Amino acid sequence: MVLDKVAKFTHLLSGWLEWVGLAGLLLIMIITCVDVAGAKIFTWRVPGAIDIVMLSQLVAIGFAVAFTQILGRHVRVEFLVAKLPERAQAVIGSIINLFLLALFILIVWRISVFGHSLQVAGEVSASAAIPLYPFVYGVAFACIPVCLLFLLDFLSSLAKVIKR
Amino acid sequence: MSPVSVGFIGVGVLLLMFILRMPVAFAMAFVGFVGFAYLSTPGAACNILARDIFEQFSSYSLSVIPMFILMGSFAFASGITGRLYKTAYTWVGQLRGGLAIATTLACGGFAAICGSTAATAATMGKIALPEMKKYNYDDVLATGTVAASGTLGILIPPSTILIVYGLLTEQSIGRLFIAGILPGLLLTLFFALTIVLICRRNPELGPSGPPTTWHEKLRAVAGIVEPLVLFGLAIGGLFLGWFSPTQAGAIGAGGALLIGLVRRELTWRNFFEAGKDALRTSCMVICIITGATIFGHFMAVTTIPFMLADWVGGFVLAPAAIIGIVVLIFFVLGCFIDAMALLVLLVPILFPVVIGFGFDLIWFGVIIVLVSQMGVITPPVGVNVFVVKGIAEDVPLEAIFKGILPFLIALIVCTGILVAFPQIATFLPSLVKY
Repeated sequence: MVLDKVAKFTHLLSGWLEWVGLAGLLLIMIITCVDVAGAKIFTWRVPGAIDIVMLSQLVAIGFAVAFTQILGRHVRVEFLVAKLPERAQAVIGSIINLFLLALFILIVWRISVFGHSLQVAGEVSASAAIPLYPFVYGVAFACIPVCLLFLLDFLSSLAKVIKR
Repeated sequence: MSPVSVGFIGVGVLLLMFILRMPVAFAMAFVGFVGFAYLSTPGAACNILARDIFEQFSSYSLSVIPMFILMGSFAFASGITGRLYKTAYTWVGQLRGGLAIATTLACGGFAAICGSTAATAATMGKIALPEMKKYNYDDVLATGTVAASGTLGILIPPSTILIVYGLLTEQSIGRLFIAGILPGLLLTLFFALTIVLICRRNPELGPSGPPTTWHEKLRAVAGIVEPLVLFGLAIGGLFLGWFSPTQAGAIGAGGALLIGLVRRELTWRNFFEAGKDALRTSCMVICIITGATIFGHFMAVTTIPFMLADWVGGFVLAPAAIIGIVVLIFFVLGCFIDAMALLVLLVPILFPVVIGFGFDLIWFGVIIVLVSQMGVITPPVGVNVFVVKGIAEDVPLEAIFKGILPFLIALIVCTGILVAFPQIATFLPSLVKY
């Protein structure tokens, strides 16, 4: 019951984060088009266009990781494990999901540390002088639902192993 | 244990993780992180992990990828594909095997605005397969045509594989795109000839479609105007040096969006779905590149790429034989591993070898794309075959794999011609002066 609630919350949060990512993606297109049109027609450029594109992409990709994982869009090699018995699949699933959980906990932790170092050093983008740390913290936050997804998958695989 | 031994164990563990169904991007990051931590220090590995994710996710040079993917998504949502197929269908549909030829030509046309094989196959399959079924086309021919012709998406520019290859090898994306044009047209011709030969041997496999008048043919030409304008604006602008690759992709995406709005075919729902689809694909590709970057740091400290280059350099083999071996490695591994993953995994390792033998890197990129195309349609991990299976649910997977065989032969012949005559790929880039 609790796990169902966590799963529902994770899906909902991942969906919201994806909307933010989509806004980032569309912003890249809009800023670049406006910048090109401005430069070619009016000899005017969007100030800090490259910085905006880079930070928008950071948000777009970072915030889309969770929902892309939910939809199974991260490429996997499927041909062997799918042919194994269910129990073997569950054992493999629990090991792999445990590794993935460890990897993403590490990613959340290290990106947060990296964001803190940028905050302390007062790092800003090259031309528009936009502070970098909020975006880095954002990516760390967006990786939390990925941890939850792998935790749920790990528990689900483990349950299948124990049940049999 | 020596760094080289650790490196080989790392590659073995990575392949094991792939086989055990760990997502490719995360497997490369995981093994790369653990391997780097073992050979240097855990602290250094932690720093590299965070920095690589930040730098790749926010890399301006990588922003070309989401923009060209978005262009393809918006082009599909704007109904360009349907009109393109109708044009090809009106011109060649009445020939024996004409609907299959029309599918190949339309795939070639759609490839000029979309850089993905799966997207090209999925888009064209939804339109072409019901039409071919209506005219009693053989399922094997119909599904094989769509799966194989969809691969044109990564050869004819724009191409996600060529973009990533260009970023990995620091080659001009514009030159790589130009290099793909003639081989792309040649392969389209080969695929069309393959269909002609199949239907000449057995006319029942691809009966003629309904005849069309010259008036209908001329009216249908309007269907290629939009893709031509988009291609001319985005890719033409890139060739002429008006735009950077990212700008070209953004202008193409904006243009496709504008076409959809003007034609009133793009609903809010389609718009958001196309945007989200492009975002997910971009996320998948950039995550793979990030994983490969982390794995690449590990490979660099093992010194395996340099050792491999020295080792292969010591062979008394003709350059053609070396290319043959490289192609074979890509082909065999491509049967099991996704084309993009294989590219980011193997190119950095094989790059010093290719440089050592003095191969033209633009030509080599085109060869790699052709071999990647084979991987997309060969069992057991032929992505396009699964895409087509998703559309033609009643056709057995074996039938689709059987259907791609003649096209696979055409692909191998085309690769052989490209190896024998590299000028087919290098001629157009040699004309560009930037």
